[in-house]
Amino acid sequence: MIDALRGRLREGSIEFGLSVLVALAALAVASLVVVASGVSPTEGIEALVDGAFGSDLNLAGTLSKMVPLTLVALAWIVVFRAGRFHVGFPGQLLIGSMFVSIVALKISLPGIVHLPLTLAAGALGGALYAGIAAWLWAKRGVNEILSTLLLNLVAVQILAWWVRGPFHDAGSPLPLTEPLPESARWGTILERTQLHWDIVLIPLAVAAVAFLLARTVFGFRIRLVGAGERVARYAGASPERVGASAIVLSGALAGLAGSSLVIAGSTPAMGEDPGFAIGFTGIAVALLARNSPVGAVPAALLFAALTQGGGVMEGTVGISSSLVDFIQGLMIVLVLAATTLLFLARRRRRAGLGPDATRGAGEPAPRAVA
Amino acid sequence: MTNRGAAREELATGTRAAGSRAAADGQAVPALELVGISKAFPGVLANDGVSLRVARGEILGLLGENGAGKTTLMNIVYGLYQPDGGEILVGGERVAIRSPQHAVELGIGMVHQHFMLVPDMTVAENVALSPSRSPGLSRLDDVTRSLEELSSRFGLEVEPTAVVEDLPVGACQRVEIIKLLHRGADLLILDEPTAALTPPEWRELSAFLRSLADRGSSVIFITHKLDELFGVADRCTVLRDGRVVGSVPISETDKPSLARMMVGREITLRVDRPMVEPGEPVLEVDGLTLVEDGRTILEDVDFRVRAGEVFGVAGVGGNGQNELVEVLIGLRSATAGEIRLGGRRLDRLDPSEFVRQGGAVIPEDRQHEGVALELSVLDNLLMREFDRPSFSRWGVIDPDKARGRAERLVAEYDVRTPGVGVPMRQLSGGNQQKAVLARELGRDPRLVIAFQPTRGLDVGAIEFVYRKLNEQKRAGVAILLISFELDEILSMTDRFTVMVGGRFPRVLEADEADPETVGLLMGGEAERA
Repeated sequence: MIDALRGRLREGSIEFGLSVLVALAALAVASLVVVASGVSPTEGIEALVDGAFGSDLNLAGTLSKMVPLTLVALAWIVVFRAGRFHVGFPGQLLIGSMFVSIVALKISLPGIVHLPLTLAAGALGGALYAGIAAWLWAKRGVNEILSTLLLNLVAVQILAWWVRGPFHDAGSPLPLTEPLPESARWGTILERTQLHWDIVLIPLAVAAVAFLLARTVFGFRIRLVGAGERVARYAGASPERVGASAIVLSGALAGLAGSSLVIAGSTPAMGEDPGFAIGFTGIAVALLARNSPVGAVPAALLFAALTQGGGVMEGTVGISSSLVDFIQGLMIVLVLAATTLLFLARRRRRAGLGPDATRGAGEPAPRAVA
Repeated sequence: MTNRGAAREELATGTRAAGSRAAADGQAVPALELVGISKAFPGVLANDGVSLRVARGEILGLLGENGAGKTTLMNIVYGLYQPDGGEILVGGERVAIRSPQHAVELGIGMVHQHFMLVPDMTVAENVALSPSRSPGLSRLDDVTRSLEELSSRFGLEVEPTAVVEDLPVGACQRVEIIKLLHRGADLLILDEPTAALTPPEWRELSAFLRSLADRGSSVIFITHKLDELFGVADRCTVLRDGRVVGSVPISETDKPSLARMMVGREITLRVDRPMVEPGEPVLEVDGLTLVEDGRTILEDVDFRVRAGEVFGVAGVGGNGQNELVEVLIGLRSATAGEIRLGGRRLDRLDPSEFVRQGGAVIPEDRQHEGVALELSVLDNLLMREFDRPSFSRWGVIDPDKARGRAERLVAEYDVRTPGVGVPMRQLSGGNQQKAVLARELGRDPRLVIAFQPTRGLDVGAIEFVYRKLNEQKRAGVAILLISFELDEILSMTDRFTVMVGGRFPRVLEADEADPETVGLLMGGEAERA
């Protein structure tokens, strides 16, 4: 029993250590770039850290950016564990925002009801949009990476039309909706900052997803289907049904991320792009977190800090904020490299054990020697 | 000119070169000769001093049941394994075949059961892709021309411009053979060539092999089907338990003799098989038929398994065993026929229904069907039971109850594991199988389907499996044991049949089975048996 725990901890710390190494490596490479552009690395890092945490305003910015990143990361984790990864989070996020604008602007209710309803609308929008890809995969075998990628583009067009057409604020020359009412928006925690109460979604969502995967029958089926299609079928689970449900659930989480971007944003009106790119960055967060729901929080913090600090850094020391994109991209590459190396190392280690593990194809099974 | 070059020249010109090298005793040098080949793997002696000889222009059949050592031997010839002892002579010269690439250079080619062709390219393109003896890439025009030449000479009937994925299986096999010929192979090894062919396709292939042999190529094909030998082979070498039992020209033998050689052992009565008075039939199968893509995979299968009885299905793999299990447990729907478990009809495509009616299955492929390697031991043990009220309420699993059950099963079935929380992949094959047994038998089923339950296990684990199955038998459980190991069938079952070509030709009492009958049945000779 203790051994099992120790084993679990060891595997967990390997994963964690790996993520830390990747982050450090990316930052190290980034410092080289900083030096190359004529700024001392310490000055650059100082500017970055200050921009992310240096003042109330900056800290608020970092924390608020964490919310949609964490939610998208959780969405990826759910669907990844089921073996069904897709890249539709940006589109689901946008359609979620669209549904949010409907409920926020077309219904008049007291805040205590209006806000939860708006959140539910966001989740519903994302779930429905993901449902398209889920159905296409389950019933027609359409590759979900392709379908969601294309659906993302469609969502962009839908939202562009949405804020210029049916929901356009007639009084504004810009492609914006009317300002969303206070009753449908999160309240701010710190006055005149970006920090809103939607931050409570982070612990709630992480706990919910972690609980779902570890302690529920549905979560078990997700993991079972992700572990192997054939063994899942033998155990009576339908990979199609469970996989499609996982995709829809991930859509709901992405839609919820979209809601945060709209009703916890700096402006009350919704534009045509509440945060398309976050749908992809969230995947990077999940990868850095090695697909652990709890690990998504520090990973999201890191990415949020980089984005927030990068913006400020541009102003103070003149390093382009695209350095941040570079660092984030580098981290994805390094995580994938590390994952591959770990996999190969494990396989080589396993090849050292018994005849069972090394028997190649076509070799007869060992029979009892009389 | 080397012997290899001479062979190639013959193939190209269709004539025998004047003055083939002759050995000192005046006989022609054999294309391949194996002397005293031995190969051992941990726990088993796969080849034990095997000697055989293949002459030029001869078709040799290598006959034996599962585990006789045929595939290992051919893998040695093809350079996949190194023998522990013995000699290999190719064209009279001693060689050590280091790798498949080396084997190809020596003119040896092997056609495996799984084709290695690019589906959306043409035949000519596929042949051009495979490495040939001449350096540099093969020009597509040259390949097409040589294909047309080979085609007309050997009566190939394969269009160089045909796209592979449109070709029937028989044609694909011919393309694989052509690839080998293009590489200059003059010794062809075919592993169970009829596994995926229809009878007319086999007739075409055997005619083709015959014409190859007439031109000087040598062919070895591995088989367990007596029919194939008598259609096309010149000689037959029979392997059993890693040793050569006999080597005879086909013209001097008959099917019953070969059958006896293939199987012949003292079929002894194993006293420790529990004698249980069988009860009512638990599993009843009537007229089960499965036809897919024009191929008949299961044909009119009828049998009963009674409570407290072990009913065996013997036979070589690939005769419909996998499909039969899939149909029985609800993973595949049959074309016709009826299955009744405990009196209730099973006709829904639903593995849960099979389990609900008291069925349990120990699958053949432990790693992909039996266990989920990435999940924990606990997850694996309870995977079918999580939604039972004893382990979950409102969809939430009770971790203590689940752990308690898992630990009880681990103790009862002697699963060696550091804990129930570790991933299944950390356990050895034997312990993984014990976990599968724990999961399936621990549910107190009324029917257990055990498909190759001792595959890949060491002696201790095998004994454990047999003991547990016999326990179930004594408790009145019906057991359907499907196995490719005849010994297992003979020692564990009360009655058994031999599955050939998707059919159950006869049911034999285990105590009354004789080698000739069993051998004939396995060799596909149901009428003669």
